Amino acid sequence: MSEKKFIEKELTRTKGRWNRHLKLHITVLAVVIICELIGVHKFSVGPGFIVLLPLLYAVILTIIITPDVLGKVFKGLKRVVSMQECELAVPLVMISLVPLAVKYGTLVGPAVPIIIKAGPAFVLQEFGNLGTIFLALPIALLLGLKRECIGATVSICREPTLAVIGESYGLDSAEGRGFFGTYITGTVLGAIFFGLLGGFGIASGLHPLALAMACGVGSASMMTASSASLATVVPEMSDKILAFAATSNLLTGVTGMYMVIFIGLPLVNKLYSVLQPKIQKGGRAK
Amino acid sequence: MKKLDAETYLSRFKMLVIVGIIVMIGGRIGYGIPITHAVVGMIFCIIIGLAGFALRDLLPLKIPAIGYIMLIALILTMPYLATADFLLKYLGQSKINFLGTCTPVLAYAGISIGLTVIKLAKSGWKLILVAFVVFLGTFLGSAIIAQFVLKLLGEI
Repeated sequence: MSEKKFIEKELTRTKGRWNRHLKLHITVLAVVIICELIGVHKFSVGPGFIVLLPLLYAVILTIIITPDVLGKVFKGLKRVVSMQECELAVPLVMISLVPLAVKYGTLVGPAVPIIIKAGPAFVLQEFGNLGTIFLALPIALLLGLKRECIGATVSICREPTLAVIGESYGLDSAEGRGFFGTYITGTVLGAIFFGLLGGFGIASGLHPLALAMACGVGSASMMTASSASLATVVPEMSDKILAFAATSNLLTGVTGMYMVIFIGLPLVNKLYSVLQPKIQKGGRAK
Repeated sequence: MKKLDAETYLSRFKMLVIVGIIVMIGGRIGYGIPITHAVVGMIFCIIIGLAGFALRDLLPLKIPAIGYIMLIALILTMPYLATADFLLKYLGQSKINFLGTCTPVLAYAGISIGLTVIKLAKSGWKLILVAFVVFLGTFLGSAIIAQFVLKLLGEI
């Protein structure tokens, strides 16, 4: 941790480094302007929808302009975005998360009374979100992934997890790469996949209200898609389904980050250290 | 008692101001929010942000700064407190848009991924596959626990 802080201090120092700062921040500003101009686009596909958000264009566009991608083709690009700007971006991710985290807090703060009233079933099913670890970690290990597993399976990887993984490991780490796999997949295809889950979930034999609670995974678009499909399949309970899903979603919004910090991250690390040697016997651990 | 390093905090403050300006310009373009409407809320964001970093640096708990920052904002906007109406007046969706705060984060994140992009491309399809199992895991996990507890309570 102390080593990391030293790096942050060195990197974000502005004295004699304004040139580097200018290149990075102006690049980001230009990207933000382009992405916001493109705006939000939503298409219906089957039981869900594909959502294209400015944040998605932003991550794709900036990855493309880095030195190992387009910078390889156009050498001039490296003069603006070199590996040194990429390094400076690491602490800036953490800083830029500040307005996002404040906004997130102000979105869930007003919902606290609903959550206090929600009752034990709602609170307890929050622990079900750890199902990501138990189900996906062994599979990720079987696929041969290493520390990527930690970031990929610790939660469904929405913005609060971005903050925790970013600050604990840095997004340029193996854990960060894993996080990004789940985050980007969820951003683009999450609503479609959850739309399908909401519709087919009833085949599991679980009660519609239990499934409704499961729809609240901490992402508004995924919750909307899954609960809408579920409500279509069980129309006689549709009001209750939508209310249960929305409440559970709010609850995950409040607990999500703390679940990752206090339970998810220690649990996934523990489980990784137990399972990794067993599952990846042949492969040497890095 | 740990001490806060003035130089680090000065840098963080400068960086927060830059990020704040980028968020406000994005908010103007993407969500039609005049910068004059957003500026007070952004100042609150910066103050809460610095307070969150200070809590992380001073307290011995292993909680990321972002965890403190979200907690401060969450507590101050609980309807039980008098601060809620006041803060939401400046930090509501019509002043600072949530999606708008995400765009710069992902722009910086994308550039920082530049350090590791070759490795990311190598495990790409595996990560997508794992993502779907992750979604299935949270859905089934929550549904099974909810089923059990609702049965136990006699609600279903």
